Amino acid sequence: MMAAAAELESSLELSLGGGAGPGGLPPARSRIFKIIVIGDSNVGKTCLTYRFCAGRFPQRTEATIGVDFRERAVTIDGERIKIQLWDTAGQERFRKSMVQHYYRNVHAVVFVYDMTNLASFQSLPSWIEECKQHLLANDIPRILVGNKCDLRNAIQVPTDLAQKFADTHSMPLFETSAKSPNDNDHVEAIFMTLAHKLKSHKPLMLSQPPGSGEMHLKPEPKPAMTCWC
Amino acid sequence: MAVRGRRAGHRDYDSKKKRKEAEIQQALSSDPIDVATLRRMAISEGGLLTDEIRRKVWPKLLNVNTDDLPLPPGKELREDNKDYQQVLLDVRRSLRRFPPGMPDEQREGLQEDLIDIILHVLKRNPQLHYYQGYHDIVVTFLLVVGNRLATALVEKLSTHHLRDFMDPTMDNTKHILNYLMPIIDQVNPEVHDFMQSAEVGTIFALSWLITWFGHVLSDMRQVVRLYDFFLACHPLMPIYFAAVIVLHREQEVLDCECDMASVHHLLSQIPQDLPYETLISQAGDLFVQFPPSELAREARQHAERMAASTFKDFELASAQQRPDMVLRQRFWDRLRGEERTKSVLTKPRTNRLVKLAVMGLTVALGAAALAVVKSALEWAPKFELQIFP
Ligand SMILES: Nc1nc2c(ncn2[C@@H]2O[C@H](COP(=O)(O)OP(=O)(O)O)[C@@H](O)[C@H]2O)c(=O)[nH]1
Ligand SMILES: [Mg+2]
Repeated sequence: MMAAAAELESSLELSLGGGAGPGGLPPARSRIFKIIVIGDSNVGKTCLTYRFCAGRFPQRTEATIGVDFRERAVTIDGERIKIQLWDTAGQERFRKSMVQHYYRNVHAVVFVYDMTNLASFQSLPSWIEECKQHLLANDIPRILVGNKCDLRNAIQVPTDLAQKFADTHSMPLFETSAKSPNDNDHVEAIFMTLAHKLKSHKPLMLSQPPGSGEMHLKPEPKPAMTCWC
Repeated sequence: MAVRGRRAGHRDYDSKKKRKEAEIQQALSSDPIDVATLRRMAISEGGLLTDEIRRKVWPKLLNVNTDDLPLPPGKELREDNKDYQQVLLDVRRSLRRFPPGMPDEQREGLQEDLIDIILHVLKRNPQLHYYQGYHDIVVTFLLVVGNRLATALVEKLSTHHLRDFMDPTMDNTKHILNYLMPIIDQVNPEVHDFMQSAEVGTIFALSWLITWFGHVLSDMRQVVRLYDFFLACHPLMPIYFAAVIVLHREQEVLDCECDMASVHHLLSQIPQDLPYETLISQAGDLFVQFPPSELAREARQHAERMAASTFKDFELASAQQRPDMVLRQRFWDRLRGEERTKSVLTKPRTNRLVKLAVMGLTVALGAAALAVVKSALEWAPKFELQIFP
């Protein structure tokens, strides 16, 4: 019992613990990129954030109640940056009055659907709409992630359909798996790509609330990164 | 010396336990059953001691008739239930809540029972809505009292203590969370102010509140001990307990970096070695000193002064208009001139247990309860009526 709990909670310690990350603890003043991860229940939000912050697939996850937080320090072009991932509850009731507060000052949004669950893909418009309402501004970087591509025989959401959707909403699409060990680098690459974008784009504006400055990030729709599993 | 001391302590504990067991038995066998004593036993040190006693006493605390239990729910419920998928997902993922040594087969059977109980209660009470975390409460009852009794207890609990969490929206839940900061402020304004400037919010306590800590505590013994306490008390007691946990960690909080992420992370990781008995009695003290009806009055005054639009959207209101801020201001105003003490928790108090038990009793009493919470009723009829039907 304890072990599982400890495992799920260890990602932050992993990243905050002295010298744990590559290059060790970031200086107190390092910039913070705050990224919120949203999508239906069970699509793998907790696994993806855990994978990125702790470097592996969690043995088991539990329903996320409210908002969980994970963090990892990275170095980009010599600059230490803290990437904060806010992992949210999927059930609709939590979103309306609860999660709101945690949309504050986010720098980027990751929408997740489950490639083996069409319904989770069909929910995306409502997630996007909700996100718009919370963020008040529409111009912060957003990406779309299709998860569980390792379950090749159960895919319900074809890539071209997802790509079309992503194009319509001017978001890059990534298909990946939090689970497949081969994909470790891939999940990493997704978040790092996002971090690079954030870093290279109007760096001085990043600590401002979204919408208060002109933080335009031209989304460049591009073909989905192929699943590497 | 030390060894003898420890042994003596052990003997002392054993004899205390024996005495308590006898007292509980007596309360159970008196006619009519002495529910007030049972409540006191559930609150006082050690709670109800064993699961065997819990099986007898929990129904009494909830006023559930054990002679007339519903049949175990059947599988047909799964066909047309809108919450079935969500329940299934959450129960499947709830492995951690079962004893570590339990064989898979047995655990899977219990998980199926868990799904059935939840769907049964939802089906019979269409006004109730499933929330993620509800399964954490139900599993506790299932493991302690078994399938049939759990169904009856959970149904009662859901229409009383948990009623507000089961609204179509979580607005009432959010409102209950808004009690947290004012309570903290009463005891340690420094911690309160620190948390306020970190803008940490209250979601770190959400899973504590709506699962009665079942979601975050690993040791089942601690969970059931808390359930004894909460079952015997007013439905808002879990929020007082949440406040006491934060206060217990005041130094850690103040040493934390003053930003939302750090404080949220610190607080949402509950230490597994909390001094439960002490915290329980502190929560009880706070409840008696700052009962919800008082907090509710403050909140009502606030609600009246607030424009409808800002009331609807707390996020758009300025920090000064946020309910907990205003609550706090009111407290300061009221306390000004009176002795303002930081040592609320150590103030001498009389009859705490008795008072607490009375507060708890009100839950079961209907008419008397309405009198007790009249002030709260004036403010939020919906909320209190749900708790005190
Ligand atoms: N096969 C497979 N299963 C996954 C993957 N990611 C998550 N899961 C499983 O999907 C379920 C839900 O994952 P979780 O991260 O809790 O979803 P959340 O509700 O979005 O946070 C769990 O049983 C995971 O083991 C993946 O990439 N591949
Ligand atoms: Mg999750």
